[in-house]
Amino acid sequence: MKKLTFILLLFLAGSGYAQKAKNVRFVNHTEFGGLFGRVKYENPYAGNANQVDSKTSLTIQTFNGIQIHDKLSTGVTLGMDWYKTALLNPIAGGIRYDFVAEKNVKLFGTVDAGYAFTWFHDDADGADTKGGIMVNPGVGMRVGKPGVAAFTITLTYKRQEAHITKVPLWDQKERYEDRVYNRLALRLGISF
Amino acid sequence: MKPKLLLLCVVAWLCWSCNDQCKETRVVRRFSNATYSLMELRTQVKAESPRTLEQPGKMYVKGKYLYVNEIKKGIHIIDNGNPASPKFVTFINIPGNGDIAVRDNILYADSFCDLVSIDITNPTAPKEVGRVDNVFKTGLFDGGGWSLNESVGAINDQNVEWVTETVTVNCEDNVPPTTWWGGVIWMLADRASFSSSSASPQSSGGSNGQAGSMARFALDRNFLYAVSQSQMHLFKIDKPAQPVDFTTINMGWGIETIFPYDNKLFIGSSTGMFIYDNTNPAEPKQLSNFQHGRACDPVVVHEDIAYVTLRTGTACAGSQNQLDLVDVSNPAAPQLIKSYQMENPHGLSINFPTLFLCEGEHGLKVFDVADKFSVDRNQLAHFKDMHAYDVISLGKTLLLIGEDGFYQYDASNPKDLKMLSKIPVGKAI
Repeated sequence: MKKLTFILLLFLAGSGYAQKAKNVRFVNHTEFGGLFGRVKYENPYAGNANQVDSKTSLTIQTFNGIQIHDKLSTGVTLGMDWYKTALLNPIAGGIRYDFVAEKNVKLFGTVDAGYAFTWFHDDADGADTKGGIMVNPGVGMRVGKPGVAAFTITLTYKRQEAHITKVPLWDQKERYEDRVYNRLALRLGISF
Repeated sequence: MKPKLLLLCVVAWLCWSCNDQCKETRVVRRFSNATYSLMELRTQVKAESPRTLEQPGKMYVKGKYLYVNEIKKGIHIIDNGNPASPKFVTFINIPGNGDIAVRDNILYADSFCDLVSIDITNPTAPKEVGRVDNVFKTGLFDGGGWSLNESVGAINDQNVEWVTETVTVNCEDNVPPTTWWGGVIWMLADRASFSSSSASPQSSGGSNGQAGSMARFALDRNFLYAVSQSQMHLFKIDKPAQPVDFTTINMGWGIETIFPYDNKLFIGSSTGMFIYDNTNPAEPKQLSNFQHGRACDPVVVHEDIAYVTLRTGTACAGSQNQLDLVDVSNPAAPQLIKSYQMENPHGLSINFPTLFLCEGEHGLKVFDVADKFSVDRNQLAHFKDMHAYDVISLGKTLLLIGEDGFYQYDASNPKDLKMLSKIPVGKAI
């Protein structure tokens, strides 16, 4: 089901390519930044008291697509996220929508949705990490003259699922973790 | 700029939960304590109408009948005259039963602390004919231990159930545990694991059935040998219906299996393999102790080679998953021939030169072991679509038991096993 959703999203995104207008404009938006979040969990070493830790992870991604409208471009986003115990590669369909056109400083909306794979992830012995659905909506600011390369800063919310099969402990016969990363993603990038 | 839109975005950010949510789900063993009166337990051995397999344990074969242990509950008697359609005949209710041995028409079974002999001349109406009281002091079932309280005449038992629990974790503990609590004796497995093609030892005119690599009961001449966690009990069975407690030999902790072969007893323990000389069946003498790390280890023997498996897992502390071939031509000084890496080996059975090896959830592997130094290169087949716990090779047929049921295969071509029948767990035939 997850994979199906992903393929559908890719198809939707890719459909942009199909509509070859006369002057197709290629769009690239490449960013790097951090994924900021927290985790609140029961610490078994402290009597299962709730404990809160901060989390920061590095993320890079590149959006490649075409402009299908003055304000709207659509394409495919490839990324790489270095979570502490998972290296995930989300592949997503994405859109970028400019709220205003023809200005040097533009506010734009961004949405990416897809599925993350674990191609480059290396598991500890006995563990098995699988990726999952990713959604990443937010807004950004583009600074630069229209039609040439511009700097961007984006602030988005990123939700990434993952599933980890773990080695059972001595009194267990099965152990797995359903993981949802809920992160605030702050990214800098360039677009042209 | 549209201030309303901006406001919306800010509110949205505030509302977003930027907490990682990680739920770890575990299937965990839970113990609950129960006390049973011996007086009551001793009235409960009786034949009942056939029932379905729920938690199959060890299996035992004699003639056309199969005896499948239902862990802690009793024994299913199955008519296997036609392996393509085995039929449940009777269920013998035996509280606290884990092991089986059959000599002629007498079935020996443990019932917590007692050894019970049951006349199975008529398999549809087995009846208790003898009992040796209070011989076993402690025991294990599926990780839960029981102990005998002789002063009040009761069994203090731990029931085991598997519960699913979900806890929030910190999303980062992805590494398997490297340290064990160590030395937890009750982790030792006490589930079944059977095999052998040549387990039938010398008999004294009587005929025995076949057990295998994980059996705790063995028959040799006029004795029944039963290993508990630290001792070997000898029962004299001159009169098969009336076993007599003969003697007890202390062996040290972690005894798991016994395999009689060629006037010797091969005893698997959690630390290694003991070899006992059994020329005089009343007085087994220890010849050697082959130490090979800490793991569960059924043993089967063919001629001068013992096949020993070691595995890790929930029930066994240890860090090796391997098959060891051990030269036992000089039983006083067993020597390692070679170790082969396996995935999670359980029971095994040899029908030389074919070795059947259960790999738990990884299925069943078949090896040609004619060349003892290249067993891994002579894997004949690997059947993955099953859970394999124990196997008994009867030559042309192969009996296999796993968590999901009991299977019989036509093994005339070991490369291409053909399933003859399957009795799934939880379903009637």
